[in-house]
Amino acid sequence: MVSLTNSQRISLHRNLTRAVTLDRLMLRIIRSGQMVGFYHEGGISLAPGVAACSFLATEDAMWPHYRAHGIAHLVSKGVDIRHYVAEHMGRETGCCRGRSSYHPCFPEHHVFGYSGNIGANFGNSIGWAMAAKLKKSAQIAMNCSGDGAYCEGRSHEALIMAATGKLPVVFWCEANGIMQHTSMEAVYPTSDIADVIVGYGVPTLVVDGQDLFACAEAALTAIEHVRQGRGPFFVECKVLRAQEHNVGGVNYEGAIERDQKVMTAWKATRDPLKLARSALVESGILTTAEIARVQEAADLEAEEVVRFCESSAKATPDVKSLEREVYAA
Amino acid sequence: MSQTDSLANDGRQLTICEAMKEAIAEEMRRDPRVFLMGTCIQSPTFPHTAGLVQEFGVERIVDTPLAEAAMAGAAIGAAQEELRPIVDFMYAGFTYYAASEVMLQTSQYYFLHGSRRSLPIVFIGACGAGRRVGNEHATMVYGTLLHHPGLKVCMPSTPYDAKGMMKSAIRDNNPVYFIWHAGMMSVKGPVPDEEYTIPLGVAEVKRSGSDVTVLASGLQVHTALKVAAEIENDVSVEVIDVRSFEPFDLAAVLQSVRKTSRLVIVDEDYERGGFAAEVAAQVSEHGYDLLDSPVRRVCHPHIPVPGGYMDAYTMPTAQRLAAVLRSLLG
Repeated sequence: MVSLTNSQRISLHRNLTRAVTLDRLMLRIIRSGQMVGFYHEGGISLAPGVAACSFLATEDAMWPHYRAHGIAHLVSKGVDIRHYVAEHMGRETGCCRGRSSYHPCFPEHHVFGYSGNIGANFGNSIGWAMAAKLKKSAQIAMNCSGDGAYCEGRSHEALIMAATGKLPVVFWCEANGIMQHTSMEAVYPTSDIADVIVGYGVPTLVVDGQDLFACAEAALTAIEHVRQGRGPFFVECKVLRAQEHNVGGVNYEGAIERDQKVMTAWKATRDPLKLARSALVESGILTTAEIARVQEAADLEAEEVVRFCESSAKATPDVKSLEREVYAA
Repeated sequence: MSQTDSLANDGRQLTICEAMKEAIAEEMRRDPRVFLMGTCIQSPTFPHTAGLVQEFGVERIVDTPLAEAAMAGAAIGAAQEELRPIVDFMYAGFTYYAASEVMLQTSQYYFLHGSRRSLPIVFIGACGAGRRVGNEHATMVYGTLLHHPGLKVCMPSTPYDAKGMMKSAIRDNNPVYFIWHAGMMSVKGPVPDEEYTIPLGVAEVKRSGSDVTVLASGLQVHTALKVAAEIENDVSVEVIDVRSFEPFDLAAVLQSVRKTSRLVIVDEDYERGGFAAEVAAQVSEHGYDLLDSPVRRVCHPHIPVPGGYMDAYTMPTAQRLAAVLRSLLG
């Protein structure tokens, strides 16, 4: 396992602070009725996304997990998040020109798009990796998803291709054990997805998804393995979802609602940002005052995002002009 | 060059598969971004990829596992990373395994992501009844594909068209589904040595006539030409080859109907909600005054494509088409 430098810990903390702040901003936007479409709150589930994407090169292709609509992954990858929030607000400055409501599209960062069809990314990741091999580039693919995506047949088709072709793909699984309203326990034969993946001959790691730095060490290990041309690597971050699947829904598990007391306790004791900050202060890497300044910068970023989006025109083109946009020249 | 010109060429004769292969090989030589993946394409079921691996190697002629969804998904990823993949599904009926990738993800990617990055992908699949092997191998997929904005869809009826359209498909910046009719494997036709392409979206009059227009595609162009010759003393039939379903050359059909006043559409796909119905609607909307009789359809009836002996008479036949044509002019 790779160990982290202090500067890596500081940058991971900054990215998680930004992700959490923007997640709260998204909640304010949807609750005030300014969001078009839906939102899947990140809450205390954002450490794995930050860890997966804080060490990628711009040229590395990445598909975020949909929790918090990938904000943790995207800010860590370095995209200009203003255009993504603007997309959620149906603005012309949205990264998809207001046509998708929730798809990231930042081709210059090798974040190409999205699909609401779970498991769609696995094939795409194979394609990015095949392209890297054909072009003899050093690019890798970071394929993020939840654990539910490992129920899809197409995901396993892609794993077969990646393992056989020794393709440079990190399969990054943010396993919260619950697939909207269905527990993984009820539908999946093993408690760790990793137990299935080892059968493909792919190395695996299972880590605590609430521990930002543990996730990051796993990410660095996986990225190094993949970039050396040793084939795919699978990481399973055991993460918690302490609220409903999507804003406005009910936090069901099977036929009954999940215990609110447990959710509250998780938020109090397993919040990855609180845990990371305690560790940073205890080890003397950051002071409380320095942490407060990181938070202030994130708050300013969120304010600037709002300013940008509110000053952008709503995207309401007519059908005739849209019909001209379906095919490329 | 029109089909009439190419028929006048007394040069070499190729099958439709040889013509497709020649187009793929030429495009792979001119553009290193083009590569091909599919199931068993190195030693293929159909000869249109035979021998390509010897020239281009296993890195560009990629045998995949039986994994249509991942294969099509990989094509999207490769295209996003600026390659130009060709995906061979072997039988187009296998495309249903990758319906999400082909019909939602690929076709709608460009528009839904702000029309910023296109996906230059060619899908290839064999279709067509007449080989007695049932629906997974015979089902025509263009009606289903056409329902999804963002895909181009074409099907050649001659080796000449197959080569020219395949080259256009590979050079197109949009996803193109290239369907070919497996019932035409043994048909040979002239293909000149020199470079040419056939633009997608241009229909072609394969036979001139004045009484009735028959719009057909793939193998059914040959059914229409056969019937037209058989009844030429009684009915003068103009045969138009669709060639490209999307973009669709409605102008060519209207121009022909302006002359003939009658339209029959031969469509090997299912009748219900299919391409023939779409054309009938478009001609009604844009050419109602040109028509002297209702638009007629000769399609596969609304039953699954059967295997065995039945597929010889459930698909559109010369007898069925001739009967419709005679009834219109009777």
